[in-house]
Amino acid sequence: MENIFLLSLFIDCFPKLLSRLHITLYIVVIALLFGMLLGTYIAVVRLYKVPVLSQLATAYVSFIRGIPILVLLYIVYIGLPLVIGAFGVNINRWDTMIFVMIAYVVNTAAFLSEIIRSAVAGVDLGQTEAAYSVGMTRLQTFRRIIAPQAIQIGIPALGNTIVSLLKDTSLAYTLGVIDVIGVIKAISSNTYRSLEAYAAAAFIFFILSSILEQCFNIISRKLGIKGTISGQG
Amino acid sequence: MIVVKGLCKSFGKQEVLKGIDLTVEKGEVVVLLGPSGSGKTTFLRCLNFLERPDAGEITIGDTHVDCKSVTKNEILQIRRNTAMVFQLYNLFKNKTALENVMEGLVTPRKIPKIEAEEISRKILKKVGLGAKHDAYPSQLSGGQQQRVGIARALALNPEVILFDEPTSALDPELVGEVLAVMKKVAKEGLTMIVVTHEISFARDIASKVIFIDGGVIVEQGTAEEVLFHPKEERTRQFLKRILPASDYSI
Repeated sequence: MENIFLLSLFIDCFPKLLSRLHITLYIVVIALLFGMLLGTYIAVVRLYKVPVLSQLATAYVSFIRGIPILVLLYIVYIGLPLVIGAFGVNINRWDTMIFVMIAYVVNTAAFLSEIIRSAVAGVDLGQTEAAYSVGMTRLQTFRRIIAPQAIQIGIPALGNTIVSLLKDTSLAYTLGVIDVIGVIKAISSNTYRSLEAYAAAAFIFFILSSILEQCFNIISRKLGIKGTISGQG
Repeated sequence: MIVVKGLCKSFGKQEVLKGIDLTVEKGEVVVLLGPSGSGKTTFLRCLNFLERPDAGEITIGDTHVDCKSVTKNEILQIRRNTAMVFQLYNLFKNKTALENVMEGLVTPRKIPKIEAEEISRKILKKVGLGAKHDAYPSQLSGGQQQRVGIARALALNPEVILFDEPTSALDPELVGEVLAVMKKVAKEGLTMIVVTHEISFARDIASKVIFIDGGVIVEQGTAEEVLFHPKEERTRQFLKRILPASDYSI
């Protein structure tokens, strides 16, 4: 009977998979960075109920959160060149990575905007009133009082989103990006075996997620030591 | 000195304040009494624009504003002439007791940190919390939190401190320590406008008692006049409900 699981192949997979890990992490970092910028903008628009923009932002968030990331990847990959092409600009030769990044930024921004919005809205209104009563401006109030407390409220949810994002990047290979998952495809067509490579990938993702989780636990606890959100108010 | 003329405020169709006129001299302690929903807290919150009045004029110190055409800068000016003590304390949860008191000096008024810290330490000592500088609000009792709230207001050295039911959220055994601090600062000549149900405070400290009902001032005068010899029927009915029996059987 054939071997169900080749341990040597499993071990051999690690260097190959890890050699493409930077692509996966690159997607995560870019998606977070730009997703945070766009997400903050969307959150502010919704929190301050900016007319028109606020409704657009709400529709955007609800639409993006409602479609699978795989579908979004294809819509961006196929749709964006068509839309921009209509304006006479040809982006068909752009690197696939750019389309992947755009899709993940668009997706992450929607989730982060909700986290930011709910964290800011979660800060007791009395805090704002107290800040106004001592003569602080709106901006000072946000910077000195609201933001620090909102960050504390939002940190656990942010951690969850980053872990989800890390795992969601595993769909980027469908557009032909050779990230950790993309390598598995190559390995399995060379060796006619794929379980070992997938097991190695599972191991890598599990370790990365655990590290992230631990980091966020530590950050939460560090912020929590100040004992500021909990307790009577 | 504080002068309020014709202050009106509605929430939707509900008219809460129907033209309030009030003058408070420097050093006066004014107590606002009234049934719940009478508009006394709304009136207080209009004075520092936590609620935006619909009409009327407010003068606090050297700032005069017409509520209909008030600008952002004028609101800021009014707020920097006043301070408020809240029913639920509203201490900044992300800051220690000392930082809470310092914040209003450092951020809006740009007083150097060292100087602000010195002022704040002195004032925390005055309210009996000299040993609690580094405690966060969640580590303090309600009474202690409210005393920090008073210290935060005192530090600003405002024209007037607005007290919005400062003892209503406290356990009965903690009310005393907060009232004691309020009496202490009242005796130092600070101008105070206090919304409270503490009749003993009104009786002992107030230079003026104002009874508000239905969005208008029904009656005003000295504590003696309003609490013990009210002229208006509505005031009598209200006092009957809240005064302990012993107070009027004597």
